[in-house]
Amino acid sequence: MTQSHNPLTEFHWLIEVLQTVDVGVLVLDLEYCITAWNGFMENNSGIDSVNAMDQSLFDVFPEVPQDWFKHKADTVVQLRNRAFTTWEQRPYVFKFKNNRPITGVTEFMYQNCTFIPVISTKGVVQNLAVIVYDVTDMATSKIELNLVNQRLAELSRTDGLTQLYNRAYWETLFETEYMRLQRHEQDVCLIMLDIDHFKRVNDTHGHQAGDKVIRAVAHEIADNSRGTDIVGRYGGEEFVLLLIDSDIDNTYQFAERLRNKIAALQVVTEAGVLEVTVSLGVACWLPKYQHHGQWIEAADKGLYRSKEKGRNQTSIQSD
Amino acid sequence: MDRDVLDEDFRDCIQELSNVAVGRAADLLARLLSTFVIMPIPVVNLLERAELSMALSSVQGAYSVSAVCQGFTGSKIAGEALLIFNDASFTDMAELTHFEGEITEQIELELLMDIGNILIGACLNGLAEQLDISFSQGQPYLLGQHINIEELLNKNQSGWQRLLTIELPYKLEGRLVNCDLLLLFTTDSLAILRDKASYMLEY
Repeated sequence: MTQSHNPLTEFHWLIEVLQTVDVGVLVLDLEYCITAWNGFMENNSGIDSVNAMDQSLFDVFPEVPQDWFKHKADTVVQLRNRAFTTWEQRPYVFKFKNNRPITGVTEFMYQNCTFIPVISTKGVVQNLAVIVYDVTDMATSKIELNLVNQRLAELSRTDGLTQLYNRAYWETLFETEYMRLQRHEQDVCLIMLDIDHFKRVNDTHGHQAGDKVIRAVAHEIADNSRGTDIVGRYGGEEFVLLLIDSDIDNTYQFAERLRNKIAALQVVTEAGVLEVTVSLGVACWLPKYQHHGQWIEAADKGLYRSKEKGRNQTSIQSD
Repeated sequence: MDRDVLDEDFRDCIQELSNVAVGRAADLLARLLSTFVIMPIPVVNLLERAELSMALSSVQGAYSVSAVCQGFTGSKIAGEALLIFNDASFTDMAELTHFEGEITEQIELELLMDIGNILIGACLNGLAEQLDISFSQGQPYLLGQHINIEELLNKNQSGWQRLLTIELPYKLEGRLVNCDLLLLFTTDSLAILRDKASYMLEY
């Protein structure tokens, strides 16, 4: 019992706790020289306290940005206020390795740090303590969660068979684009594309072959469109392309080129090599449209005319 | 919480504490940031739950509005500081914090957190000193970035209806940094707050 009241013993276990606690404890004087350095810092940096003590922080950790650190320290000393860094903004302050070097997924340790003013017996701030928390596990699981959420969002927007946008997502993009055009007029054209006699492909060669044809056509569309084009699968064998900053002549040329390329496709299926043609309808955005549905209707009319005139062709609908 | 929790005397007392705290904060900030801080007049009030929801909703979705929140606790007085940036220029904030370099999106967030932490800390310390306590402050969080506001609004776990609030509109002279600082105190902190501040009530 007397042991716990012995100041020396007490001091010893206090230091022992500080030494072994599972967070980094680093104390600096106001010249940024290291005055305390616990086991966590020692083990993770590989620099023992003999080599760290009385050294400038910036010599021991050249990767710490000096100006940034000094300003942070300034606010702590002047305001006697804690300051913080989080891994989301700054993955680490001190570049330590992941403490699970084999099974860890990141190379380095994510850290949250707290800067604390240490007030001396005279009541002035004479030191600055930096506490380093290892938040690698938390950070990596949050990053993974974000990635999974992103992936889910992508999946919910993508058509499984063709990897193009599905109809629902394409329509939201189309509507946004339509709204934008109300404020900022631009040449934007819509193409509707339908595979000719697709039902016959399915009926004669089976759905497997049909799917392959759809995929081959989708692939050709994706390959030929620009990054800014908004391409989606509108229905079974129907596709839509929104060409931003493309006038009617350009779009017609593009549509014809695409039509020829698709016509030249040799789709290898289990039922043999198949060839398909497509019909297209083109409609440019017109200021007179009252609703984005009218634009779709116009392109649809063009498509219908192409079908009527014998398929495998492009028609422009200009009203 | 009832209206009578915030009686006239108590409100005056908190008001006075806040005035002093703000004065000290403004002085410190002016020296630290080398800019004149337009002294805000603190407003002591009871904040309705719906009002907080409204304030948070305005943060959500608005590109130019962001909010930092930070918990504090000490001597059984606990609460949260909420700093809402209504209009803030990142270039100005970078200059204030002596940040030199390219302002990336990540840096922008760091600037918000840094300025937030400074403004919150300065005021909170002023208050703590007068009450002769010290608060431990947690990590600041950026609403919308670290905390999903929608979830925050939908959850209703603590069941409070009104909170004691000290509201401080901050402005920095010549800088486009306008923000509102809300210090929210939990209901169970009030009795202790009243105790600690009782010396001001004795006349």
